This record gives sequence, C-alpha cells and structure tokens, in this order.
Amino acid sequence: MTFVILSGIFALAPPTGVHAFDTPNDGGGAITIEWQISADDETIEGYEIYRSEDGKEFEPVGFVGRGRTQYEDDTDDTKEYVYKVAALQNSQTAHSEPTPPIRSRSQWFDMTSANLLIGVIIFCSMILYFINQAKKGKALYIRKISGLDAVDEAVGRATEMGRPILYSMGIGRVDYIATIASFNILGEIAKKTGQYETSLLVPTSDPVVYTVAREIVKEAYATIGRPDLFDSDKVYFVTDSQFAYAAAVDGVMLREKPAANFFIGYFKAESLILAETGASTGAIQIAGTDQVTQLPFFVTACDFTLIGEELYAASAYISKEPLLLGAIKGEDLGKVVIFSALVIASLIGILTRFPILKLFQ
Amino acid sequence: MKRRFPLMLVFILGILGIMPYFVPHGGYQNFDNALRNDFIRILSAFAIILGLVSLMRVHHDKIRRKRENWQYSYVLIIGFVVSGVIGLLGGIKGEMFLPTNVAGFHFDIQTLYLNIIVPLGSTMFALLAFFMASASYRAFRARSVESSLLLSAAFVIMIGVLPLADRISTHLPSFAQWIMDIPNVAAKRGITFGIALGGIATSLKIILGIERSWLGGKE
Amino acid sequence: MKIIEKLSRLDRRIVYLVLAAAVLLPLVIPSVQKVRVMTPVAKLFKAVDATPDDRIIILDFDYDPQTLPEIEPMGIALLRHAFKRKIKVAVLSLYVQPLGLAKKALDQVTEEFNGRAESREDSIIYGRDYVFLGWQPPPIVPLLGMGISITNVYTRDYYGLRTDSLPLMLKVKNFNDVGILVSLSGSTAPLYWVSYSQTRFGVAVGAGITAVSASEFYQYYQTGQFSGLMIGMKGAAEYEELVESNLLLKDRRKASEALGSLTAAHLTMIAFIVIGNVGYFIRRRRERRQP
Repeated sequence: MTFVILSGIFALAPPTGVHAFDTPNDGGGAITIEWQISADDETIEGYEIYRSEDGKEFEPVGFVGRGRTQYEDDTDDTKEYVYKVAALQNSQTAHSEPTPPIRSRSQWFDMTSANLLIGVIIFCSMILYFINQAKKGKALYIRKISGLDAVDEAVGRATEMGRPILYSMGIGRVDYIATIASFNILGEIAKKTGQYETSLLVPTSDPVVYTVAREIVKEAYATIGRPDLFDSDKVYFVTDSQFAYAAAVDGVMLREKPAANFFIGYFKAESLILAETGASTGAIQIAGTDQVTQLPFFVTACDFTLIGEELYAASAYISKEPLLLGAIKGEDLGKVVIFSALVIASLIGILTRFPILKLFQ
Repeated sequence: MKRRFPLMLVFILGILGIMPYFVPHGGYQNFDNALRNDFIRILSAFAIILGLVSLMRVHHDKIRRKRENWQYSYVLIIGFVVSGVIGLLGGIKGEMFLPTNVAGFHFDIQTLYLNIIVPLGSTMFALLAFFMASASYRAFRARSVESSLLLSAAFVIMIGVLPLADRISTHLPSFAQWIMDIPNVAAKRGITFGIALGGIATSLKIILGIERSWLGGKE
Repeated sequence: MKIIEKLSRLDRRIVYLVLAAAVLLPLVIPSVQKVRVMTPVAKLFKAVDATPDDRIIILDFDYDPQTLPEIEPMGIALLRHAFKRKIKVAVLSLYVQPLGLAKKALDQVTEEFNGRAESREDSIIYGRDYVFLGWQPPPIVPLLGMGISITNVYTRDYYGLRTDSLPLMLKVKNFNDVGILVSLSGSTAPLYWVSYSQTRFGVAVGAGITAVSASEFYQYYQTGQFSGLMIGMKGAAEYEELVESNLLLKDRRKASEALGSLTAAHLTMIAFIVIGNVGYFIRRRRERRQP
C-alpha cells in the first residue's frame, strides 16, 4: 500500500507536447520528433524514442540525453510512422501520448540555403554587369601587381641565359581553386615561353592535374602557332606524396638550374623547402597561393608573391583581356559590400553597449 | 567544335555541381554523388596510368640519353617495380599470394611505408627549421617602415613564446598573445574574404566560358 | 666592421650547422624550463578539470610521426591530468596512422601510474578508468554518430572487446555524457569536431596543434568554439606546468625539457637576423656615402 502511494507521488513525469514532422529541407528519409522536457528532467537519464508502423507495436529507435528536446529518426519515405517519447530513469519509463501518423518526404529546394543563393546571385550579377560594361568597351583600371610584371622579365632572363623555366603547381588536386587559377597562369606563361622558345618544365604531383597541365601547355604552343615546341617529357607526373614531390622539384632546381621558378597553386609545408632551395640557385622566384599559412614563407624566400586573390586575378592581368578585368571589378564591389556590412554590424555592436542607445538592441 | 564542346561540358557540369548545395532531393543527391565520387574516381584511375607512363618515359629517356645523373633513374624504376609487385601481389600486410615475411624479415608494403616513407617524410619536415633560419637570415631586412614593423612583430612572437620572455618583462608574453589574437586574426579574416569572393568569381568565369586560358587562350 | 660584414654574408651551410648545434646541445643536457601559463592553455586545463564525476572526456589522438615531438607531450600531459583527477577517459583516432602513437602514449602513462600505485583503487584499470575505442572509418561516422550513441559507432574497442561490456561505457551514451573532447592533431582534425560534432550536438571541444598551423585556429578560439588551445611545444610545456603545480605530479616533462632547445633555436635565428640587418645597414650607409 505504502509502495503504491509513494510510487504515485514519485511517478515519473513523461515528456509532453510530443509532435513529429517531416524534417524540412532534406532529401527525405528523416522525421524530426520534438517534445517538451519531462518535469523530472533533472533526475532522469534521458529520453527513449519509440516508433510504430501500425500504431500498436512500438519499438525503440533512439535515445538522447536529458535536457534535449529533439530527435531525428531515419525513415523509409514509403511508410507511415507513429512516435512516442519516454522519459527513462533506472528501469522506470514514462511514455508520452503517440503522435498522429506521419510520412517523410524529399524536398526540391533547401530553404535554409536561400540566403546563400540570393547572395551568390547578387554577387554573380555584379560580376556579369561589369563584364558587360567591359564588353561595351569601357576602360577598366587594374592596379599594378608587381609579381606579374616580373613574368616578362623572368622569361626574358631565362631566354638570355639559355636556361629553362620551372613551373610548380604544388600539391593541390584539380578541383582546388588555387590549382584552377594556376592552370590559367600556366597557359599565359607557356605562350610567353613559346614565343621566346624557352624551355618550360612542369613537374606535377597529381595525375589529373598532370593531364590537364599537359593539354594546357600543348594548346598554348598551338595558339601561338608553334605546336612543334611541345615536348611531352617537359610536363610530367612525379608523385602524389607531399615531401617526395618537394624532394623531386628540389632536385630539378639543383640539376637544371632554371633561371626562373614559379610556385603557383596550392602549397602546404613544402612551400619553404621549394622556395629556399630555389633561392640558393639564384633564380628569379615568383610564388602565389591562397594558403594563408604558407604566404609568410613565400614572401620571405621569393622575389614576388601573389597573395590570395591576386592569384585569381593573375590571368586577367597577364592577358589584359577586358572581359576578365570586368570580373575583377565585380569582385571588388563584392568586397565593398561585405566590408560595409561588417562596419555597420560592428558599429551597431559598439553602439548597443551604450545604455542610451538601447534602441539598436 | 573542338573548343565549343569542352566549354559546353564545363558549363553543364559546373551548373550541375552548384545545384546539390540547394537541392536536397534524394534522387538528385544520388546523381551528384555518382558524379563526384564514382566518375572522378574512374577518371583519376585512368589519369594515374597516364601519370605513371609519363614518369617512366621521362626516366627511360634520361637513361637512354645518359643525361646528367641518369644513374638515379634506375633507382626510381627499380623502386617503382619492386613496390608495385609487393603491393599488388603481397597486399598491405602480406595477406595475398606473395609471401612478404621470409625468416622473420618483413618487407610488406606497410613495413616499407613505416620504415622508408615515414622517416623520409619526417626528415624533409625537419629540414623546414633549417630553411626557416637561412631564409630569415638572408631576407628579413628592415628595408622600410612596413618591413621593420613585420620584423619587430616577428621578434616579439619569437621571444614571447620562450620561457625567458617572463624574465625580460611579464607583459611580453601577453603582447605576443595579443598580436596572434587580434592583428593576426584580423588579417587572416580579410584575406579569407578576398579568397572566397575570388574563388566564386573564378568559378563563374570558367563556367561561363569567359576564362579560357586553360584551353590555351582565345582562338 | 669588417667582421660584421663578413658575418652578414655567411654561407647558408654555416647557418645550418650553427642552428643544428643550437638545437642539439640543450637536448644533450635536458633541464626543465619554467613557463608562464597563457590563457588558451589555462582555459583548456580548467575545462578538463571541471569535468563532473558522471561525465568522461574524449581524447582524439590524430597526430602523425612528423608532428609527434610537438604534440605527444600534450597527450601525455592530458592523460596524466585525467588519471590523477580520476576523470574517465575515452581515447580514439579519426585516422588509422595515429593509432599506434595513441597506444604508445596510453601505455606510457598507465605504466607511470600503476608503477607507483599502492592499491587497486590507486591504479589505472582498463575499462574502469579508460577505454581505447580505436578507429572507425570514415571520420564522418564517429564525428556525427557519437552524438547518438558512442557504443553503436565503436561496437568493439581497439583490443576487440565489446564496448557495451566495459564498465566505463555502461554509463556513457553519447556526447551528452562528455565533459570535453580534446583533439590533438598536426592537421585540421580539430576543426572537423567543431563543424560537425559541436554544431550538431553541442559538445565542448579543445585542441592541441602545431605552432606553425596555429593561426588557422585562433579565429575559432576567439569565437569560443574551442574551449581552449594548446599550441606547439610551448603550449604542451604550459600544460605540463599546470599538471605539475596543481596536481603535484613529478613525471618527466618532455616539452618543458625541449624548451631549452626551442629557446636556443629562436635566439640563434634572432641573432642571425640581427647580424644580417646590421650588415645590411653598414653596406647601405657606405653605398650612400660613395654613390
């Protein structure tokens, strides 16, 4: 009798307000269950989630710790489910009411990414607008990038000395944006070396990058009307092992003594190993990467360094192609927008610290 | 056509590549997964063959023409063949046909990796310290106000992280920490913004066929 | 003047030799250097120390042989801290290569404690005080799966035992029962724990990283996504200092011993830079005088 009364007083409170809904903005196969915590949340172990396909036989499908009010269950889109949530304490459980039957579905658009999409569209429109302006013949200014002005000097020097030029794209894969930017620069440099009949060495560290680089050099020579200059042994694959690649390129620099070294693309810890060895051979060195942690090394050991987006702007700069310059103008406007947003947000942040200006909170 | 086809392919695949960020539908995600994982892997597999053929050709040519240091090319070719045979026939730990344990002497791929590649990698990594010393000795010059500032910041950080910094001044480690926390993070964020926007712009230019240096430039 | 000018144009091989001597000599006669503890490390120590009795900490060993000298002392200091405070520990790796290194650190610290234990209560017992969950590929599986159930992701531990049979794991369900997860890595693994596990399940994350990659992590530390940071040899030495002064543990402090070498290397580099600059100024002055 006492036990019945006590257990009546201390009966475990179940979670309340349990409802299940199709997880929004997903590819289907998931239902989210939400509830309000049990009155005994402080003392329980957590919540067990039960599921049934026929509304009668429930089986446990998941568990979350106390204090949590949500669970996402993996489901089959073709079936309907009913859920219950139970508070769990030692061996005691307190079940909630079952939810109405629910089925999961696939969505065609992720609403949570809408802001991202709008941002991308606005930014792309700005770029396209300026490209269009450039097409109409509007002259666009681009500031001096000394690293790229030195390209001609480097190629000229190599020609005078009768030595080759080395072009390393680092250890990035083909889909890295730095590698893509490096491809664009490689095309321009190959054309210049072709015009002077200077040899261009391109050791690569990724097989896919190798195949693309080979085609780029071949095409560049064809574009200037000298397809005969292409030597397939000058653009080659070495290894995809980071430091083995660094050792191999170091070897090329020490043996062939290129008059100019380009390190343009995606680099990690091998950046300084390459740049410092190159410096010891007395070559002109031009580097460019978007890997911020490697920039200090390049800046120290190379004559010129393209920092971050300068690398992306390089092909526009070298080719002086107006359409490409238009895109850079668009980028700049994008930066102005972000910068303004940051300044405004910071100002609001600072102002809300003053009690008088609670208005902004 | 020779130029138009790749441009069209890039446009279509570029758009298909953006869509999965906005389209969560299961069917489309599966298609994207096949495109990214399966097709890229198949392409890479063929590219590896091309890459290895290129590597062998370069070294074969070097030996044939007896170019400078041609002897080392034998090391490469023998290393390539030996590790290829052990890996393909012996498996990672020698669990396949080729016995890789002779009288307690192991030469499976895992052992070769741990005892050759790992120490060689560590050695190259350790070289960094020496290169940092020689690069900073050669190139860190207080040529202008900016470079002097950079140099001072470098000194503060280098001394600030040492135990003896406290003996010089108790503020020095905190100042070093402040440089890392505030100016360093601020500069890094700024560059990151530029890189992100530049990345979008570069991709857009390629997808729309405005940037075609990768095709060898304009026709 | 001539000497300084000569010194400022040394061959790089001499620079290498001097640096090698500066690094090696202090390692021959190791001595522990005292360090002042900086906020990022102090915060990490506090976060680990504040782990309540009913929770565990997870240590993610994700460094490779290249970065072992810098990061292993952090792992050892963390293990000593946890074992001394009787905080339960689960050890794992996201990648296969660091597994052997994790086991090495665990073996070392358990031996230290068991060597001086006087009773069963004092000793460190597998399954009761710590578990070694091992490796479960691909990384995304533990990163997200452990938010739901740790024993479901790691059904068997490193030694092949069923994890749900281990006494420690009986009371541990998922990230809710984890005080803090500390990721030790030479790459970006700590960022994965933040972007996947923390964003989704709210688990507190700390990190131990190499000095050269530190600038990548500061922004996340500033926003509070990392509860604390240990950076490079100095960070490890600071943690060792905290363990020794707060917990009165007198074990070998490898990072603190290496600080002598680090100090000598830094000072040598500073000296070289200064010499280079003095030589540069002398040359520049002379060139200005005789145009």
